[in-house]
Amino acid sequence: MPEAWGRVLQPIRIYLFTVPALLVIGAFFVYPILLSVNLSFTNFTGVGVANYIGWANYERFLSRSRYLNSVGVTIKFTFLVVVFQTLIGLVFAALLHRMPAIRNFCRAVLFTPAMMSFVIVGYVWQFIYAPYTGGLNAFLSAIGLESLARGWLGDPSTALFAIAATHVWMFVGYTTAIFLVGFANIPSDIEEAGRLDGASSWQRFRYLELPLLAPSFTVNIILSTVGTLKTFELPFIMTRGGPDRATNTLSLEIVNNLFGSYKFGFASALSIVMLLIVVAVAIVQNIYLKRREDNQ
Amino acid sequence: MRPMIRRVVSIFGQASVVVVTLAMLAPVFYMIMMSFRTSAEIAEEPLAMPQALYLGNYANALENMNYWQGVLNSLGITLTVTVLVALLGSMAAYPLARRTNRFTRGVILIVALGLATPPFVTITPIYVIFRNLGLLDSYPGIVIAFTALNLPLAVFFYTSFISAIPKELEEAARLDNCGDWQVYWYIVRPLLGPATATLSLFVTLMVWNDFTYPLLLLSSPEKFTVMISVYRFVGNLNIQPDMLFPAAVLGSAPLLVLFMIFQRRIVSGVTAGAVK
Repeated sequence: MPEAWGRVLQPIRIYLFTVPALLVIGAFFVYPILLSVNLSFTNFTGVGVANYIGWANYERFLSRSRYLNSVGVTIKFTFLVVVFQTLIGLVFAALLHRMPAIRNFCRAVLFTPAMMSFVIVGYVWQFIYAPYTGGLNAFLSAIGLESLARGWLGDPSTALFAIAATHVWMFVGYTTAIFLVGFANIPSDIEEAGRLDGASSWQRFRYLELPLLAPSFTVNIILSTVGTLKTFELPFIMTRGGPDRATNTLSLEIVNNLFGSYKFGFASALSIVMLLIVVAVAIVQNIYLKRREDNQ
Repeated sequence: MRPMIRRVVSIFGQASVVVVTLAMLAPVFYMIMMSFRTSAEIAEEPLAMPQALYLGNYANALENMNYWQGVLNSLGITLTVTVLVALLGSMAAYPLARRTNRFTRGVILIVALGLATPPFVTITPIYVIFRNLGLLDSYPGIVIAFTALNLPLAVFFYTSFISAIPKELEEAARLDNCGDWQVYWYIVRPLLGPATATLSLFVTLMVWNDFTYPLLLLSSPEKFTVMISVYRFVGNLNIQPDMLFPAAVLGSAPLLVLFMIFQRRIVSGVTAGAVK
């Protein structure tokens, strides 16, 4: 009999290799998402029974400015980070591409902060931004710019920018490294042709390299967007979402509802909102950036 | 004369880029310098250099933050997760790289779903599931959570790696009557070293630096990873610089040292993982 079984299983045996991974992904991604959808229609508090309350959690989300505000904060933060990280990374990569002697050294230096954890970066930068004992204000007054000194994280108008700057500092080396791969993939005869035609360094960048870097833009923008939309640790450590909820991101709101007030049902509804936002943004970006690549 | 001028300009340009790049390290330098100063010194002169090699902050941090226990925990979790992710990921990748049909396309779709889902979407249900299974505050629990988080990336990573391996070796083995498992175990798996090396860098970075999962899933101090030890030691209110900076240095030192040694490999590995 085992032989007969062997003959039946033979053609599909190779696919059984995917079963362990599928079990893990099924149990810890697919099932949790379904459970999250289910919980989002309940008033579950972590203990006892979960009562179905229909769309009440979603109505609560839509009717309180606090939650819509946290979506706004998340999107504004993501926009700031993606724009500045991409631009600064591009400038570094364009310069380093022309400077082979220092390229690897500078790439490694720029990459260093990405080795550190959000917790430590958050702590150190919180102290750098501190009003009286912090490094930034002390530095500003040392170079005669005292008038710019302020409580960076205590002021609702600067707090989000300050955290975005920290995030960009952490990951700009990543963006630079990806752009450098893009530069390296540009066929050298194209660059050579540009040089023979007497194109200046800027003209080569603008008319030859920039269009050919489209795939690197796609990778960088999608990676940094997906990485930034879920921002939690930096505001959690640096501001706790304050001042005046100016840095209260959606993930911070999820964790606060979960472990601050045990609103498991509502936290699940917020998670589903987050999933929808991430999926929507990813689809729009993918379509737009791929089309942009094809047009180049 | 002109080439001479051009060379001077080029050297000047490169020097300025190096200076700007090194300025990006100022916060890291600041963190190390401040860790040798007392709170009173920092309050008085926020930017001064340390007066002497004062190690009191470190003595206090090492004594009170449970550092070595945290290092051991992070190491143990990293190793276990790396082995699990490498095994499950490469096994699943083998058929995905060698066959294309409705089934493999469906599996790739499910893996992509795992890759795209932000951890915050699944954190509530995972907490509930872990509590029901008794996995909260346990090593198996945190190992499973990290394995699940890293697995989708591993599957993609190995799939593209195996696709690039020529099939001839496997076909020869099949003629010798090797089954699928034997082909995978004796032919494919031994070739995966470079991919596994890069993957283990990802896992190390994630396990060492991740904050959210261990914060929510672990509650007894003897099980904390390094980052949770740092967080519990420094706290969240009334933060003291003489605790913050030494803990920050101790928390990031192992990965920074690792980075100095394997800098080229880490940058190209992480970048390759992103570009693929």
